[in-house]
Amino acid sequence: MLLELDHISKIYGDLHAVDDLTLTVPEGEWLAVVGSSGSGKTTLMNMIGCMDTPSRGSVKLEGRKLEDLNATQLADVRKNMIGLVFQKFYLVPHLTAVENVMVAQYYHSVVDEDQAMKALERVGLKDRAHHLPSQLSGGEQQRVCVARALINGPKLILADEPTGNLDEKNEKIVLDLFRQLHDQGTTIIVVTHDALVASCAEREIMLNHGVLVGEKWNDEKAREAYEAAGGRPASTGAKVEGAQTGETAIGFDDPTKAAKTGGEA
Amino acid sequence: MTNTGMFLRMLFSAVFRRRSRAVMAVVASLVGAATLFCLAMICIAVPQQMNQEMRAYGANLIVTPAAESSDSATSDSATSDNGDMSGMDMSSGTSTSSSSGASSSGTSSSGTSKSGIGAAMVEHTSEMVAAKGSEKHATYRYENVRVNAAPYVMAGVDPAAVRNLNHHWVVDGKWPSAGRVLVGRDVADAMGLTVGSGITIGYRASDNAATASGTSSSSATGSDAGTSSSSSAPSAEGAGSANAETGGASADGQSSTDSSSAPSAEGAGSANAETGGASTSDQSGDTQSDQSGTQTQDGRVSSDIMDTSGTEFRVAGIVDTGGSEDSIIYATNADVTKLTGVTRGVDVIEYSSGASDLAALVQSINDMTSMHVKAQQVTKITASDTRIITMLQTLFWIVSLVVLVLTLVGVGTTISSIVSQRRNEIGLRKALGASSRAIGVEFYVESALYGLIGGLLGTALGFALASWLCVAVFERAVGFNWGLGVASVVLAALVAVVASIPPVHRATRIDPAVVLREE
Repeated sequence: MLLELDHISKIYGDLHAVDDLTLTVPEGEWLAVVGSSGSGKTTLMNMIGCMDTPSRGSVKLEGRKLEDLNATQLADVRKNMIGLVFQKFYLVPHLTAVENVMVAQYYHSVVDEDQAMKALERVGLKDRAHHLPSQLSGGEQQRVCVARALINGPKLILADEPTGNLDEKNEKIVLDLFRQLHDQGTTIIVVTHDALVASCAEREIMLNHGVLVGEKWNDEKAREAYEAAGGRPASTGAKVEGAQTGETAIGFDDPTKAAKTGGEA
Repeated sequence: MTNTGMFLRMLFSAVFRRRSRAVMAVVASLVGAATLFCLAMICIAVPQQMNQEMRAYGANLIVTPAAESSDSATSDSATSDNGDMSGMDMSSGTSTSSSSGASSSGTSSSGTSKSGIGAAMVEHTSEMVAAKGSEKHATYRYENVRVNAAPYVMAGVDPAAVRNLNHHWVVDGKWPSAGRVLVGRDVADAMGLTVGSGITIGYRASDNAATASGTSSSSATGSDAGTSSSSSAPSAEGAGSANAETGGASADGQSSTDSSSAPSAEGAGSANAETGGASTSDQSGDTQSDQSGTQTQDGRVSSDIMDTSGTEFRVAGIVDTGGSEDSIIYATNADVTKLTGVTRGVDVIEYSSGASDLAALVQSINDMTSMHVKAQQVTKITASDTRIITMLQTLFWIVSLVVLVLTLVGVGTTISSIVSQRRNEIGLRKALGASSRAIGVEFYVESALYGLIGGLLGTALGFALASWLCVAVFERAVGFNWGLGVASVVLAALVAVVASIPPVHRATRIDPAVVLREE
C-alpha cells in the first residue's frame, strides 16, 4: 500500500477535525474525499501531505511512519513524493508560468527549463509559458499548478478542490489531465465537494464533521483488485450515528450533486 | 540553467517585477543612506571649513628670533604669557622682565636678536610650516619711533600678506603703501588722525640702540622682553624707553615734560606697558638713580622729548581690531627701512597653518636650534577651533544615530509588510519542499539587494545634496569621498539585512499548511 492511515485523529481543543480514521490507499488508485465544508477534508489532506501531523494515530507513506520524521525530513518526503494542486493555484505572482514550474524543480533537485517546458506542453500551455500568472486565465493557472505538481514525478498527487475556481470547460481539461496521470499509474487523492469530479475517481469516501460516513467504488475492477491485494474498506472508531465503523462500506448518493446544481450543500 | 541561476532569476523577479513594493523598500534605505552620507560629507567638510574660517582670525603659530642669552628661563616665562599681541600680555611680559631686569642687567643682549630673522630664514621656516599643511604668513619688523616726541611702535609689513592673514582686521581707508601708513585706532584717537591726515614720524637710533647696548637696567629690561617675545618686543622696548622717560621726568621734576609725555603715552596704547614700566621704575628707581649714567641719559631723553622732527607720512587707513594692533603704526617694509636707514630681518613671523598637529610642528621648529628661531602656538585660536569641531562632530554622531534607527525602523516595516504580503508564497515554497534556511537566505539577499540599490541611489543623492549644501552654505566644493561612498552603500545593505531579521525570522516559521488551510 502506498498510503496507510491508522486510526488517525486531529483534535483542536474539543473539535475533532478528523476522528479516528483508518484508510489504506494502494498505488495507482484515484481516490476522492468528499464532504461538505468543515468536514475535515483539508485537515486530512494536510496530514497526508506531510504538512500537519495527526494528534493520534499514524500515517505511513510507502511504509514510512511520518510521525517519526522531523520537519526537514517531512519536507523531503513532501518534495520527493507528493505533488500538490490547490484550489487557489498559489502560483508565485512575480514569476512566469515556466518559472513557477521551475520553482518546484529548484526546491526538489536541479532546475531544468526544457523539462519544465515539456510539463507545460503536456498541460497545453507551451505558448503561455512566459506569461505571468496575472496574464493567465483561472484554468490556465490551474494547469500551470498541475504542471508544477507533476514536474518532479511524484508518486502521489494531492489535489484540494482542483476545479473549485474553474468553469466547466477548464474543469474538463484538468480532469482529463488527472485521468492521463491516473492512466500512467500515478496515485491521486482529490478533495472535493464537486460530484462530477468525485465521480471520475475509482473510489470515494465521505466525511462528515471529521467522521467517515460512507465509502463507494465507481470502478468495480479496481475494487476487486484492491480487495485481492488485501485491501479493506475504510473505517472509523468514532462512536457517531451513521459512522462507517465496520467491515462493510456504507454506500451514499452524491449529495454534492445538488450543490453543483444550486441546491443545498 | 543552474540552481544559482534560478535563485538569481527568482530574486530579480521579486525585486523588479514587484516594483511598487520594491520601490518602498528601496526608498526607505535610500533616504537613510542619503541622509547619512550627506551628514558624513558635511561632517568632513565642516572642520576643514571651520579651520579655514578660524584661520581668518589671524595666526595660530608665531615664530620669533630665539633668545641667545643665558637668560633663557626668564625668556621662556615671558613668552608663555605672550602668545599673541594683546596689550595686556605686553604689560605682564614687561613686568615679568622688568622684575627680573636686575638679574639680567649685567647680561648684554646679543645683537643677533635685534637683527631679526633674515629673509632666507623666513623662507626656510615657511617651508617647514608648508610641509605640514597649507600656510599663510606675514612678517613684522618692529621699531620704536616718535610721533610728536611720544614713543610709538611702528611695524614694517608686507600689506598684502598681513591682509591675507588677518581677515578680521577692520580697516577704515586703505592699507599701507609707499609714503602712506596704516595707524591703529588708539593711535588715531590719541592724535586726532583721520584718513588722509599727515603724520610726522621720527626715528632715533638711540631708542632702539639702547636695547642693544644693555648699559642701564631699564634698557636691559627692554632687551630682555624684546628677545623673549618679539610680538611684545617693540612694545616692551617702548616700555623700556618709556620707563626711562618717566623715570627721567620724575627725576628732573619738569612739569612741562611730564605733561607733554604723559597724555601721549597714555593714548599710545603702549600705556599698559608703560604703566608696568612705571610701576617697576619705582622699584628699580634706586638702581637707576644710583647708576651714574642714568641721569645723563635721562637728561638727554628729556631734551629729546621736545624734538618733533621726522619724516612726513600720510594716513592711508585706520585699523580697528580691538587688540594690540590698535596701538601700532603699520608701514611698508620699504618705508621703515627708509625711515630707519637700517635694513634688517623681521621680529615676528605670524603663521596661519593648516597643519593637523600644530604642537608637533612647533616642536619640530624648536628642535632645529640652528635656525635660531622659536615657534609657539597661539592657543586661543586652535583651542576654540578644536572645541567647536568636537561639538559639531558630537552633534553629527547623535543625528546619525537617530537617522540610523529611523532607517532601521523604515526598512524593517517595509520588509515586514513585504513578508506578510508574501505569506502564501512562503507557505507554497515550503510546501514545495523549501527549508526555512532557504527561505531565510532568499529574503535576506532580497533585503540586501534593496539596501544596495537604495544605498547606491542614496549615496548619489546624498553627495548631490552635500555638494549643493557646501556650495550654498560654505561656498566650497567637495570632492567625492570614495571610502565614505563604499561605506555608505555597504552600511545601507547591512541595515536592510539587519532590519529584515525579525520579519524574515517570522516568515521562515510560516506553516506550509497555510496554503491549504486558507479557504
